[in-house]
Amino acid sequence: MYLLWLRVVVVLYGLASVSVLIAVFGQRPRWQRACLGISVLAWFFHAVSCTEMLALEHHWTPTGMHEVQSMLALLICTVFLLIVWRYRTLSFGVFALPLAFLLTVVPSLGLDRYTFSSPLIRSGWLFVHITALMTAYAALIFSLVASLLYLVQERRLKNKRWPGFLNWLPPLDTMDSIAQTTLVLGFCGMTLGLFAGSLIAQEQYGARYFADPKIWLSFVVWGLYVGMLFVRRSTGLRGLRAVYLSSLVFIAMLTVWAANVFSSVHRFGAP
Amino acid sequence: MRILLTGLNHKTAPVELRERLAIASEKLALETRGLLAHDGVREGLILSTCNRVELLVCHEGGDPALPAYLSRLFAVDARTLQPHLYEYRDAEAVRHLFRVAASLDSMVVGEPQILGQVKESYTTARSVGAVGPELERLLQSAFAAAKKVRSETRIGASSVSIASVAVDLAKKIFGSLEGKRVLLVGAGKMSELAARHLMQQGAGSLLIANRTHERAIDLARKFNGHVVRFDELHARADEADILITSTGSPEFLFRAPHAQQFLQRRRNRPMFFIDIAVPRDIDPEINRLEGIFLYDIDDLQSVAASNLADRGGEARHAEVILEQELTRYHQRVEALDVVPALVDLQAAAEEMRLAELRRNHAHLRGLTASQQAAVESMTRGLMNKFLHQPLQMLKAAAREGDAARVEAIRSAFLREAGREAAGAVEFADEPAVELEEPLKPFFSKH
Repeated sequence: MYLLWLRVVVVLYGLASVSVLIAVFGQRPRWQRACLGISVLAWFFHAVSCTEMLALEHHWTPTGMHEVQSMLALLICTVFLLIVWRYRTLSFGVFALPLAFLLTVVPSLGLDRYTFSSPLIRSGWLFVHITALMTAYAALIFSLVASLLYLVQERRLKNKRWPGFLNWLPPLDTMDSIAQTTLVLGFCGMTLGLFAGSLIAQEQYGARYFADPKIWLSFVVWGLYVGMLFVRRSTGLRGLRAVYLSSLVFIAMLTVWAANVFSSVHRFGAP
Repeated sequence: MRILLTGLNHKTAPVELRERLAIASEKLALETRGLLAHDGVREGLILSTCNRVELLVCHEGGDPALPAYLSRLFAVDARTLQPHLYEYRDAEAVRHLFRVAASLDSMVVGEPQILGQVKESYTTARSVGAVGPELERLLQSAFAAAKKVRSETRIGASSVSIASVAVDLAKKIFGSLEGKRVLLVGAGKMSELAARHLMQQGAGSLLIANRTHERAIDLARKFNGHVVRFDELHARADEADILITSTGSPEFLFRAPHAQQFLQRRRNRPMFFIDIAVPRDIDPEINRLEGIFLYDIDDLQSVAASNLADRGGEARHAEVILEQELTRYHQRVEALDVVPALVDLQAAAEEMRLAELRRNHAHLRGLTASQQAAVESMTRGLMNKFLHQPLQMLKAAAREGDAARVEAIRSAFLREAGREAAGAVEFADEPAVELEEPLKPFFSKH
């Protein structure tokens, strides 16, 4: 049944992706309302679909790439809706909604061929570990986008050129605030995720688990994250240097994701 | 009832004449009452702004001679006034009013004040009883059309004055101006205007630095701000988020090293510099620093000019919306014109009555003249009694402007009456009924 809901979600994300372009670039209030309505509806069905998917056979943990993609899309949509609610701007939907659409297209086509299987999948700690880390990914995507948009808006204001197609950009202060808030959210997610993961590893495998390349890379990224937060908060770093820092941490996080290939235990795609 | 609109505006009359015709808001009610008392005027409204004076009236019968009324009211010679006046009647008057309310006829197309001014005139006219059903319907439709133009186009979205462009730019940087601090360096008229705009938009507090300390104190009192001594300017400038300069200094007051210090003290929080002085007070090089945004008078003017050009494009879109709204208004007015419906309804009922009399002609032939008159009177009385309620309902619906109810009553009764009449005629066409000798006076009509 969750596949049916997911297909509905894909259609709704598709519609939301089109309407957000008209709503944001055309700055039409009617389309803005329509886009928000469709997005909320998509989020609702997506939550239903994810709940059904995770409740399937009572495993509560995403066990394959399709499930992970779908979960990540749901978290991206959640962060987007939180931004709309807090900052009253739909602009981030231009990136978030098409991304959510793309992430859900493949999972909606069918079931995973390969799934991660372990007796741990029914552990609540594993659920916390994965969900918290995925929240960190979603938050960091928004932080990076906000930093990039900040840069574009800053250049636009400095160059004193007013191309009409950039009128939709939110104010600098709003983007800075979004970048900072999502960064903190991501940090909380990452810390919680690593903590939960470490507990499971310590419990199940002992110290040898920490020799896994993915694990120590994760701690390196966490260290980078702390460093970036400290620098941004203490110096009020904005603009180009903030983009560099956010990009660095984002690339490091992608590396951790990619480290699945070299990991002996984090292999979602393994047969 | 006919609609007439007479007046002059910035396109037809110079300011010297317009200022003679301006009506102060406290006198508007009195003058509207005077207009209502003018010959032939049933409903009326006066719109008086700095760019236009217009009289809008609903009248019956002949022309109410509004130019003569204007001439008398403002004590301006009719020959002086006449060449500058325009006059629109009925559909053209409606179109003009719609364009005025939607700010398409304004000096600065899309400016938001005009709709408020039209609404104010309407409220005043209503308070003195000068707004009847005709004007009510017209003005409500004009307000709805103006609102639609505002919400469906971006005609008023961009700023076209220097001060409002400055406010817009500040919002692009800081989002909300709530709690932001403005520093005014030099106390010129332009900088004062920009500061006033920023304060009106919610800026938190105002600091003022001026070479003449007394002038700074005067201005601080006016805006409830604080004075900064001119020799402390560089030490305290970083307290401000927005800095407006307009001094007569021949040299730059702020250079890149100053701005770097400000940023350091502000932990890189952005600063917005507005330099409206000529010669300039701020070195343009500081715009290169990350977190510093500098706009001089030319920059502000070029943004305003580009926004004005954008409004031209939006105005074309607005005209299309206005045409649709005008069509809707006229359709509504036509629907509410119940006179043809009343005539049709009476005619259909009369036709039914005659058909019934024709059908019963054979039985009535033996009646005496007085009995025939009684039958005539009785059927006519019945018809009138039957028609009374639907006719009253039609008139009431028209009075309340309920076009849907008018249409419902019209279709129900006219269709019914038409069918009844047709049925009666079919009956009358049966061979048993022959119309040999007409009944009098009823038959005298055939």
